[in-house]
Amino acid sequence: MTKRLDDEPCPRLEALSALTDDALPLAARASLETHVAGCAVCAPVLAELAQLRNRFAALPRDAATRDIDVAAAVDRRIGALASSPPPVAPRRPAARRRPWWQLALLAPGGVASVALGLWLGGAAPLPATMATSSPAGAGIAAQMAAFSSLPPGSLCPAGLACGGAPR
Amino acid sequence: MQDRADDDASDEDEEPLRRARAGDRTAYSALVRRHQRAVHRHLLRMVGVPDDALELTQEVFVRAWQALPQWEPSAKFRTWLFRIASNAALDLLRRRKTVEFVPLDDAAGDACAHPDAGPERRAQAAQELRRLEAALARLSPEHREILLLREIEDLSYDELAGALSLTVGTVKSRLARARAALIEESKD
Repeated sequence: MTKRLDDEPCPRLEALSALTDDALPLAARASLETHVAGCAVCAPVLAELAQLRNRFAALPRDAATRDIDVAAAVDRRIGALASSPPPVAPRRPAARRRPWWQLALLAPGGVASVALGLWLGGAAPLPATMATSSPAGAGIAAQMAAFSSLPPGSLCPAGLACGGAPR
Repeated sequence: MQDRADDDASDEDEEPLRRARAGDRTAYSALVRRHQRAVHRHLLRMVGVPDDALELTQEVFVRAWQALPQWEPSAKFRTWLFRIASNAALDLLRRRKTVEFVPLDDAAGDACAHPDAGPERRAQAAQELRRLEAALARLSPEHREILLLREIEDLSYDELAGALSLTVGTVKSRLARARAALIEESKD
């Protein structure tokens, strides 16, 4: 398997890269250069990094940018910014406050709704005996069957689990 | 070298910048003309599509104008422009998901080969550059960005840290990894 450049311990690669940029302090530079001169691993890596720099130096700088001039277009856009009003965040309409007398009229309705909810909630859990033994209970049970998890007419596989009497 | 000319221009930015910050659009146009080629060159190699690069170049200078009140005079204007350009390019590339690249100008081989080189050597030089451009286009945007700013725009490690919002230590390690990745890509 070939060894990749970045398989090398990072500090060494970083130091060699900084060396090609001439970005090491004098002492570190001298020490690394002495090491590289006798190191079969670092010498070719440094050579490749230096070669890469040379290839970049050969890249044409201005081939595609020679004729561009965006100054006029930028000035037009800046001018348009100046002439248009600054963007304003859309404001949410302020919540309309109801007068106190409207709130007073609404309050009894709210109280009645809560009371009805509590009354219905208290009546909801039906005892199993009531559901089957009294005509009223049977009627309520029939109405509540619409909310059962079993489809109408299906056979319950476990009568006890459904609250029915054992057969 | 173009980059040195750009560096020398940084001192000349001071006066037009002061006037531009006071709202002088003519002074700002002079700054745009001074830096547009470097910004466009960087964006062209970052996003690969000439029309996108041109549009982004305009966008960078409009954004810079809008942000001029927040610009710190301690930062070099050119470095600050590259910061805006890099963010704009990365935003576009994230939206686009795929990267195209501009084929090198056929005259490029002529430009970089030795004047006395024969046609064979010139063709070989052009081919090497095409391979370098193609390998660059295959790098991650972050690696391509730091290499272009270092090798083409000649930013120092401190300037790279400012332009890319990194520490100098991270600049050093990212640059090393980017070079290693490019060398590997060039071998394929």
